[in-house]
Amino acid sequence: MTKTYSLTLTIKRYDPDRSARWFQTYRLDSGPILRFVDLFRRINVEQDATLAWASSCEHAQCGSCSVNVNGRPMLACELLVENAVTLFGTTVFKIAPVSVAPVIRDLVVDWEKAYERVHRAKPYLIKPKELPPGMTEHRISPQELARYEEATRCINCFCCAEACISGNRTFIGPNAAMAGIVRMMDSREKEKEERLDLLYSEEGIYRCHTSKACSHVCPKQIDVAHFIALAKEGAF
Amino acid sequence: MGKKLHIHSTSTCDVLIIGAGGAGLRCAAHLHERRPDLLIFTVTKVAHPQKSHTSTAQGGMAAVDPKDKTDQSLYHMFDTWKGGDCASDQNVVKKIVDGGWEEVQWLERKGIHFSRDEGGNISKRQFGGHTVEFGKGDALRAVFVADRTGKGIMDTAWGEALKGGSRFINTTVVTELLFNEGCCVGAVLFKVKEGEFITVLAKATVLATGGSGQVFRITTNCRNNTGDGLAVILRAGLPVMDPEAVQFHPTGIVGPGILASEALRSEGGILRNKELEPFMERYAPKMKDLAPRDIVARAIETEIREGRGIMDPDHQIEHVWIDLRHLPDYVHEVKLKEVASFFKTYANLDSRTQLCPVRPSNHYHMGGIPTNEHGEVLTTANTVVPGLFAVGECACASLHGFNRLGTNSLLELLVMGRYAGERVLSGLKEKLAPAPKGAGEATLALFTSYLEAQGKENVGLIRQEMREVMTRKVGVFRIEKGMQEAIASLIAFKQRVAKVAISTKDTRMNQELLERWELDNLLDSAMAIAQGALMRKESRGAHFREDYPERSDEFQFHTLVSMTDFGKVSFGKRPIDMGICDAKGEYYEQFRIMPRKY
Ligand SMILES: Cc1cc2nc3c(=O)[nH]c(=O)nc-3n(C[C@H](O)[C@H](O)[C@H](O)COP(=O)(O)OP(=O)(O)OC[C@H]3O[C@@H](n4cnc5c(N)ncnc54)[C@H](O)[C@@H]3O)c2cc1C
Ligand code: SF4
Ligand code: SF4
Repeated sequence: MTKTYSLTLTIKRYDPDRSARWFQTYRLDSGPILRFVDLFRRINVEQDATLAWASSCEHAQCGSCSVNVNGRPMLACELLVENAVTLFGTTVFKIAPVSVAPVIRDLVVDWEKAYERVHRAKPYLIKPKELPPGMTEHRISPQELARYEEATRCINCFCCAEACISGNRTFIGPNAAMAGIVRMMDSREKEKEERLDLLYSEEGIYRCHTSKACSHVCPKQIDVAHFIALAKEGAF
Repeated sequence: MGKKLHIHSTSTCDVLIIGAGGAGLRCAAHLHERRPDLLIFTVTKVAHPQKSHTSTAQGGMAAVDPKDKTDQSLYHMFDTWKGGDCASDQNVVKKIVDGGWEEVQWLERKGIHFSRDEGGNISKRQFGGHTVEFGKGDALRAVFVADRTGKGIMDTAWGEALKGGSRFINTTVVTELLFNEGCCVGAVLFKVKEGEFITVLAKATVLATGGSGQVFRITTNCRNNTGDGLAVILRAGLPVMDPEAVQFHPTGIVGPGILASEALRSEGGILRNKELEPFMERYAPKMKDLAPRDIVARAIETEIREGRGIMDPDHQIEHVWIDLRHLPDYVHEVKLKEVASFFKTYANLDSRTQLCPVRPSNHYHMGGIPTNEHGEVLTTANTVVPGLFAVGECACASLHGFNRLGTNSLLELLVMGRYAGERVLSGLKEKLAPAPKGAGEATLALFTSYLEAQGKENVGLIRQEMREVMTRKVGVFRIEKGMQEAIASLIAFKQRVAKVAISTKDTRMNQELLERWELDNLLDSAMAIAQGALMRKESRGAHFREDYPERSDEFQFHTLVSMTDFGKVSFGKRPIDMGICDAKGEYYEQFRIMPRKY
């Protein structure tokens, strides 16, 4: 027989209509391999249809469901009950929205606002390099690609930015910085100057204290701090 | 009751793109490239375009490389035609296949991080159903970005649309299309975050709202794939084509339905039932676990139906096992790294020492909004609806017929996104047409009715029951009696949803309200699927009728379903294009109607 956990979820709520903020506690029994998104859905069906929470793909591939669980930013779609119990050593969880963007309702934040930083870092080739004569595609060796491939896995869940000790007011943030760094490393980008200007600006990478909190929380296991360190050395 | 609902404002643009997945964004990017002066609105239901479902596509994108002397477009066209069980439109197949490599080049120039071979060239891999020389050998035809090809495409198309200056309208849904003298002149949108209804007038409107997988209980599709595009089209009095053509992937991970790729079986994974019997031997004595998707899916369903499945206690879903324990560590750690990690992440299982739970999972909707090869939406009479386009999974051109080959969807998104963009430009009018009288009234009345409804029903519960019914009765196996029961259940659900009271009256980020509206869309889509499946008394591709297990030439046509009132459907037919065969060019005899045997 499988195990049942008696869980207590204390969720931070916000109702824009009444400008009210409060913590609400839900108790539910769950098997080991339900995910936190499954718990939220169950709360909607069984206890409280008004609780708003965010998700989309529920495959850990879109980064919509980031929340703070007992103070740690994580994706609710891949957090299994059993793992959460092991990780935190408790069946009591405090769940709050991430703070990198304004809250719209309950656990739903305004991702658009958080993304403004990524947009500032121009997540595309500003000036793509022309193809060499006679070629129809660029050649990029697997070794060259391997230098920055890891960084291209970023899903912009902003867990790193949430955990970053440099705070999110003065620093553009680890993931946005990384969006610029990838294109510094990509030989197909010709516009390096503009990118350097941003990376070394007031809100640039010198704000980073190399604490590696970002790498520690990244659900995609990207060593974000490594890329920022490369940029600090100019080792693109 | 809160304030009276009203249309908050009216905006205008040149092109309104509804849906910002791979298809919508490719279309936007093309328009920006060709006409930087145009004002383009790109609407998405998710919080940001990058969150769209295309990001989850894993395996690859099919495209014939003209530099590859072993492969040819004609081979790819043949595979698509055969795979679709002779129900694809050949003019569409030809156009899309011919446009494939140009898209690979576009992506590559715009910075996608394709996996590379030792020479630094774009790598290619093999995928089920893709062959050379009309089935003689395997084709290396899929380009890929490691195991996240969709994400690579998403990021590139999003980046280009952003660079081009698209105005993104996020966390927003289309609720109504606007027509003036038969032309589509824009749409009514509900801005979920702000809780506002707006009208947008446009010279052209492109629907790219993606799939409808949430109709089924177990699905690889995202939470947002609730068939909105289909519902909006049906409410506009337009038809949906081949809705019954729904693909099920044999191995979704229990319970979330996450796709566990065929690689599991091609590397030697064995499916086992409750008694641990390797049951595929009974269904496909030769190919066993390597049999095509639909055969494996039916075998698993049969095991479960006959009581040889296992109940997952947490998710309350029956499944079978996939046994990977005998495979060498190298296979677990290198070749199956990603999938093995899915079992770890979503079921806390170590595939090296434990059996892993899988079952058929809804995966792809071949059917959708009927279009021609330019992405223009067609009526029941096969005439073009001026100003209205549809691309991507919500559309049906039809490239995939009744069964989609892996990697052909990403190909379609990009090529059709571009072609539709091209067509939008060639027909772009000088001036905007005015909104019709009463624009938005239907939307406001609908949402007011949701907010005012009284009763004790619950959206989540009805949705759960509907998904269960559709999975059991209109899923992998279909039979007349079951489908009639499903239709009766859908009608009962529709009556019950009228008794859902919404406690949050404020329209801002009102998840209850949005999910109530989505449930109507799910029910509309489910009804179209069930009715189409009931009408089609044959088995074709992914549509399998136990009472009519063979394909029949009598049904050599596309189904068109229109629905004026819920459950009241009328059927039309569209001929299947045989252009390649009829042109009598080289190898034309390969494009006749043929049995689908592998
Ligand atoms: C797990 C998985 C793996 C796959 N792997 C492959 C593969 O390897 N190769 C392949 O070719 N195919 C694959 N597919 C299929 C392919 O990924 C999809 O068919 C394709 O991505 C759909 O793209 P789209 O642009 O049509 O829709 P989506 O990417 O789903 O985008 C739809 C857009 O419309 C928006 N939207 C939805 N409803 C509304 C509304 N009411 N109003 C406004 N906007 C709305 C959404 O927010 C989103 O922006 C896979 C699918 C899945 C689920
Ligand atoms: S680097 Fe990791 S944590 Fe940061 S946004 Fe990207 S995926 Fe999320
Ligand atoms: S290493 Fe730098 S970017 Fe990462 S969390 Fe620390 S301060 Fe922030």
